[in-house]
Amino acid sequence: MAEKHSNGHAEHTPRFYLLVGAVLAVITVAEVLVTFIGLPQIVLLALLLIMMVVKGAAVVMFFMHLRGDANIFKFLFIAPLLMATTMLLAFQALFSGHVGIGG
Amino acid sequence: MSQISTTSSHSAASHGVQADHATSMHVDSRKLGVWAFIGSEVMFFAALITVYLVYKPRNLAAGGPDPKEVLGIGVTSALAAILLASSVTMVLALAAARRGDRRQFTIWMLSTAGLGLCFLGGQAYEFTELIVGEGITMPTSLFGQTFFILTGFHGTHVAIGVIWLLATFFKVRAYPKSRENVMDIELAGLYWHFVDLVWVGIFTIIYLMPDFAPEAALVLFRHAGG
Repeated sequence: MAEKHSNGHAEHTPRFYLLVGAVLAVITVAEVLVTFIGLPQIVLLALLLIMMVVKGAAVVMFFMHLRGDANIFKFLFIAPLLMATTMLLAFQALFSGHVGIGG
Repeated sequence: MSQISTTSSHSAASHGVQADHATSMHVDSRKLGVWAFIGSEVMFFAALITVYLVYKPRNLAAGGPDPKEVLGIGVTSALAAILLASSVTMVLALAAARRGDRRQFTIWMLSTAGLGLCFLGGQAYEFTELIVGEGITMPTSLFGQTFFILTGFHGTHVAIGVIWLLATFFKVRAYPKSRENVMDIELAGLYWHFVDLVWVGIFTIIYLMPDFAPEAALVLFRHAGG
């Protein structure tokens, strides 16, 4: 299904990319559908976050070929992502219950 | 000096990196630059999303529009599907270029740019609905400011991506299989996939979870009001 490319990362077949695209499309449809089911807020939140992470990981690993690519590229993407996630969560914890920073 | 240079070139070549663009880490300097740029863009969009989420309760407290009443997910679901499809066509264009299949490369690359234009058209429709239909503009509410800045910056990135894709296509179309041209396509593709990745986050956080922590916000509004 995949062959090693000259610059180090695995090159998949077009069929594999179509398969990944189909899976991502199914997840996107599932994301929309779960919002209509009327699930408890926390369950809905968890489901949406999990599906978002799975979709994002698939795009980065298979379409951007980060899986199997040089470690320096992984560092350049994952380090800012972790910092950004930490910042978002910290700001949510600090300010989401208030009426905004200025308030 | 020449020995160092020769050793470096040989090592770079053994890693499949052009000597002209090799770094001491044996990776292509242009690809390194694009990944560093993408890393900075991650921080940029995370900051915009954070600002949107932090100011959302304040917008509601000030009587601003409720996102769950004004944001429809019909159009944006279609936009998500369009960007997702464009990521697939982009990666197929890169695969076709590596195979040296010019016809397939042309089809997939132009399809990617076309889907990008469709996304921009859909976003223009959504903005028109909000501005003309709902009367929401940047000066009228915090929601207007944070929403339009976030999604507007994303749309701008899509527009830049379409220009980048078309410029790359016209540059490499004569012989997309050369190593230099394949790298050009790969770099444009990296940026395009990142634009899709940002929409994955925006679609879920902004459109699908509009009730993010609503109870905590409601309680504190009462405290603030009393």
